[in-house]
Amino acid sequence: MADGRTPRGAGEDGVVPVGPAPAVRPFLVTAGRVAGAGEAASGRPMPVETQLVATATGLDELDRLSFEQHDIVAACRVPQSIAEIAARLRLHLNVVRVLAEDLRAAGQLSVHVPDSGVTHDASVLRRLIDGLRAIPDSRGVLRDSD
Amino acid sequence: MASAPSPTPGGYSVTPTEPLVRHTAGRAVVRPPLPVKLVIAGGFGVGKTTAVGAISEIEPLTTEAAITEVAAGVDDLSHTPRKTTTTVAMDFGCITIDPTLKLYLFGTPGQERFGFMWDDIVEGAVGGLVIVDTRRLDDCYAAVDYFEHRRIPFAVAVNAFDGHVEHSLEEVRWALDVSEGVPVLVFDARERGSVRDALLVVLEQALARTEG
Ligand SMILES: Nc1nc2c(ncn2[C@@H]2O[C@H](COP(=O)(O)OP(=O)(O)OP(=O)(O)O)[C@@H](O)[C@H]2O)c(=O)[nH]1
Ligand SMILES: [Mg+2]
Repeated sequence: MADGRTPRGAGEDGVVPVGPAPAVRPFLVTAGRVAGAGEAASGRPMPVETQLVATATGLDELDRLSFEQHDIVAACRVPQSIAEIAARLRLHLNVVRVLAEDLRAAGQLSVHVPDSGVTHDASVLRRLIDGLRAIPDSRGVLRDSD
Repeated sequence: MASAPSPTPGGYSVTPTEPLVRHTAGRAVVRPPLPVKLVIAGGFGVGKTTAVGAISEIEPLTTEAAITEVAAGVDDLSHTPRKTTTTVAMDFGCITIDPTLKLYLFGTPGQERFGFMWDDIVEGAVGGLVIVDTRRLDDCYAAVDYFEHRRIPFAVAVNAFDGHVEHSLEEVRWALDVSEGVPVLVFDARERGSVRDALLVVLEQALARTEG
């Protein structure tokens, strides 16, 4: 992974990027890798809601991580989805997928790909329905029970 | 009605109130919630972002997703389908149901074409909500087709801009040619309670699918 540590291109002039990452950035950050890594065992890309959590090892080794890797592990002290990390760190989704896979392989991040058998299970759907029903509308009125 | 805790196969019920934390090497590591995804689709400017924002516990976030578009026809020289990768902005929000369960709402970017290029976002979704503006019904055909072909449970929600719809629900159902079992409803994308009820209809569809 050593050669994957590319200099922070947009940061060299000290300017923090504020807009969407330019198209060329994904390739720099991942050392040109766009596919292969970052794919779940099924061969499909990790779903965007896949949860990332920093491991104890990752937090211990935080100071030794550079740039995006560092930022991802630091942000994942609180579990976050791939999509949230991409949005908050202004990284391309596929860059987060590739880096998350690297960090997982290094034991610094745990990657929880949701099992669609579990998410589609009736008991999970019932909990979602009950949970949503408990949300009041903007006037504080709960949904009529039926 | 108070929501009953869900029974588990073991015959006991679980109602989590606190996230599960493991302490390793003096560090606390939190167990992430199970993420469940719903997709909010529809044409340009129909109110997708508004709907996500009305119910999400966070301000909707935006990220750039790459979509692969397979152009109609084949490349003249190689005889392989032409693929182009486009970057689109996709926005999303979430609702924490309890420390172990979180609902994510992903709004697909408004586009007329809604082909298999969306699989990257939709893969694993439990259901979809297609938002419709009755002044521009054509805009949502692609989304309706997509969910029907993928057999993803979905509902059609007519966004009543300023309380008005130009076509009755019967007319909308006929024009979109949605299957009989697909709910078609009116809602207000700006109203949290209205968005909640539309999402509940989608989840009930998904639940009925598991039982049917
Ligand atoms: N009056 C009224 N305006 C609405 C309603 N829903 C959305 N709008 C407005 O319509 C415009 C488009 O809404 P968005 O939520 O951005 O639509 P969108 O589907 O996310 O649009 P794209 O992402 O560009 O495809 C915004 O200016 C909203 O404020 C509604 O129910 N009533
Ligand atoms: Mg939008």
